[in-house]
Amino acid sequence: MWDDIKSVLTFAAFRPDADDPDLAWSKRFDGRKTLLLNISRSQVSWRSINRRGKLDQSGSHEGDLADVASQRGEEWRALTEGGWCAVSLNNRFIISLENGLMRADNLSHLLRTNPRSVLGPKYDRGKRYALYHHTDTTASMLLACEDSMIKVTEDVLRGVGLKPGRICCGLFAMMEYAIRSIAESSRGQAPGSYLLIAACEGSIAALAQQDGQWRDLRCRSGLGAEGVETALQIVSPLVAKAPPGTPVFFVSDGQDAAFRTTLMEQLERVGARDLTQDDLMWKIIGEH
Amino acid sequence: MSQFLCHDFKTPRTDMSRRLPGSMRLVPVLFYVVSLATAFFIFKDVRDLQEAEKQRIASVKELEELTMELTKLDEEKSKIDNELFRAQAVAKWVEGTRVLQPITVAIARAMPPETNITELSLERSPDLPAQISLLVRMINATVAEVPKIEGAVNRLHYRTHSGQQAKQGEQVEFRSMLVWQEQ
Repeated sequence: MWDDIKSVLTFAAFRPDADDPDLAWSKRFDGRKTLLLNISRSQVSWRSINRRGKLDQSGSHEGDLADVASQRGEEWRALTEGGWCAVSLNNRFIISLENGLMRADNLSHLLRTNPRSVLGPKYDRGKRYALYHHTDTTASMLLACEDSMIKVTEDVLRGVGLKPGRICCGLFAMMEYAIRSIAESSRGQAPGSYLLIAACEGSIAALAQQDGQWRDLRCRSGLGAEGVETALQIVSPLVAKAPPGTPVFFVSDGQDAAFRTTLMEQLERVGARDLTQDDLMWKIIGEH
Repeated sequence: MSQFLCHDFKTPRTDMSRRLPGSMRLVPVLFYVVSLATAFFIFKDVRDLQEAEKQRIASVKELEELTMELTKLDEEKSKIDNELFRAQAVAKWVEGTRVLQPITVAIARAMPPETNITELSLERSPDLPAQISLLVRMINATVAEVPKIEGAVNRLHYRTHSGQQAKQGEQVEFRSMLVWQEQ
């Protein structure tokens, strides 16, 4: 009761809820420090957002999340106000192409509360999902992440005094962002073809669009720094299948510059355009 | 790109409440306005109360001074009244006193030539100066001389009271109380 009164008198009751997934991160934490975490199979990297909403301190630590959190928990807590953090999971997920899935205004809410109603028989109890629909066709990109991993991540973070306000997949978010960017840049033109390759901390996804239709999508998570060859094996068939002259877009983020450079060197041979911006993944999950 | 919202698959919370509508911001705003107004009026009332207390103390002090002054004036008045009373008594006494010589002369002239006044005494009463005790002793006089004495005294606006006359041989004695009559 007192907390309710206090929240009304401090106007906190009128501000967006820190835990509201239907609001952008920047709106939820306007004027407050927050922490962004990117959790890979054997590495955790982080960036902090200062009160002005700008990316601030950064760091990375090799190891499993539980080990890293026990060592870096205090440092992370100091970078946030109220312990709120956004988490990008970069491991144990898969992105696939689906057709004819439900499209509704409250789709994201339904996916969190009743995913079976959206996915039907494709629903797996042990996974959590996110969807991104093609704007012109019935195709959708479906992200499925291990439920157990999300729960473990939440528990570990709570154990060090952090509150996960968002758990997402950075690679999927980069894919969404890049697809929207490409669509906006080619607005008014006939639906085209392109090949989009996204890489984030050793995870990779490649989407092929042909004549405005998503044709193929390949994804591997948790490849690690040594997975350049595997990444190329994933990308090569799509490149080979693409008609000559198909634009190839590359977008990436991550600590391992060698992975990115090597991959881009290979892609440059087919005329790939690098859409990568500094801190792109952090900006996406820290603003939107 | 502004409408882009990053996906989220964290464990949903069940205790999330809906945000209050923006119009409800009036509630805390009014609360603060009313609080400020209340604080202002409390401050103003306290200041007024302090001022009133100061005025009350000054008034009490002034009242005490006036009471003391009044007491002094009362004392002075009672002194003056005393003086006045005494002065009035003196004045009354003085007013009551009359010169005795005309009485002596009037009684002497009222007597026939053969009558001798052997003793004429006039004693003024110390308490009532308007009253004079008269004693006349005469030789070769008759009782008929007494009305002459009374007539002479009456002409001088004295009235005789308790007149007593006595005759012992050739001597006639007349005693009376003369009282001054206001005209």
